[in-house]
Amino acid sequence: MSNWRHMMPTTEAYLLDKVLYRLHHNAEDLAAYNADKDAYLARYALPPRLAAMIGGNDVAGLYEAGVNPYLLRAHCIGVRIPEDVSLAALRSLMKEGDDKWLK
Amino acid sequence: MAEVTGIYTASHTPVMLNFPDRIPPALRAEIFGAYEAMGRDFEAGRPDVLIVLSNDHLHNFFLNNFPALCIGVADSYESPIEHWLKAKRRTFAGDQALGAFLLQEALEAEFDPAFSMEMVLDHGSLTPLELAGLDPDLPIVPILFNCVQPPMPTMRRCHRFGRFLGQALRRYQGVERIAILATGGISHDIATPRMGMVNRDFDETLLALMEAGDHERTIDYATANVHTAGNGAEEIRMWMAAMGAAGDLPFRRTYYRAVNDWYTGIGIGRFTRHGDAHG
Repeated sequence: MSNWRHMMPTTEAYLLDKVLYRLHHNAEDLAAYNADKDAYLARYALPPRLAAMIGGNDVAGLYEAGVNPYLLRAHCIGVRIPEDVSLAALRSLMKEGDDKWLK
Repeated sequence: MAEVTGIYTASHTPVMLNFPDRIPPALRAEIFGAYEAMGRDFEAGRPDVLIVLSNDHLHNFFLNNFPALCIGVADSYESPIEHWLKAKRRTFAGDQALGAFLLQEALEAEFDPAFSMEMVLDHGSLTPLELAGLDPDLPIVPILFNCVQPPMPTMRRCHRFGRFLGQALRRYQGVERIAILATGGISHDIATPRMGMVNRDFDETLLALMEAGDHERTIDYATANVHTAGNGAEEIRMWMAAMGAAGDLPFRRTYYRAVNDWYTGIGIGRFTRHGDAHG
């Protein structure tokens, strides 16, 4: 597997990245998000599918959409998704042979 | 003319501070001991200033404006920027004059770094300094490479920048002694399906090539194989830069262990003359 989903981010990934970046660099944004996710996410003109990925803690979906991995990681820790839950979601995407050089 | 008193390479990961208990206490003590030993070695060289080669993990820079390379020219740097990092806040003194010198020299040498007069450093700079127990008043100049969002500068370009850096530092007349810490890597994956599966073979090969002193083969190996070692392994760009800065000084690893439960191949090393106490 490659280290990266995209060698240049898509606009979709950029929009997701922007939400995660703001959430974890502005305390007011994170507080507003924690108080009412839907209302907070409505501030962005995100397609509903993308908003649902963030609001639903869809770690696997966000990874596949090409969210920057450091923003995804910060988000998992920052909104307290349990470590084993986020790891399991990511590992569910492991394909046959992805770990061949690790054996 | 400044003396470069030591050039070190060391991994960094927030997991060390956030989830220390995910590994057994004896292993944790061994790793923390290796960082402390690096810190003592640093201090033996009595540096006046420390160059920190590291990377920003999308905190100071975002995709609306992301520099390939950025030289810090602030007179102080707060840290950490992560609200979720379990570290006490601290402020590093910045060596603004040295930062400005390097910026100007880099431009003269036809590198085109960005510069920043205000950055809040993240775990990538804070963690190794904290674990090494370095004098909190030692001034620093952070130089941050993009290793976190493609497209990124090539391994070779980072090595070339390091070569420039080593030469420029040795010409500098503002202080007597300068140390360099290059931090990041080695094998690790952040938020991917491979997270927690360290590629030990990659790490061992990279360290062996560096110890053999063959810069060209090391750069070629890093370029061709980094995709097998994880997105976090892209941070070996700073190791390439350290190698460039070291020139013909030999490299020796001082610690390595693949720590799957900390998601990282933890490597520490230094470029030193044989038998030299502090390089």
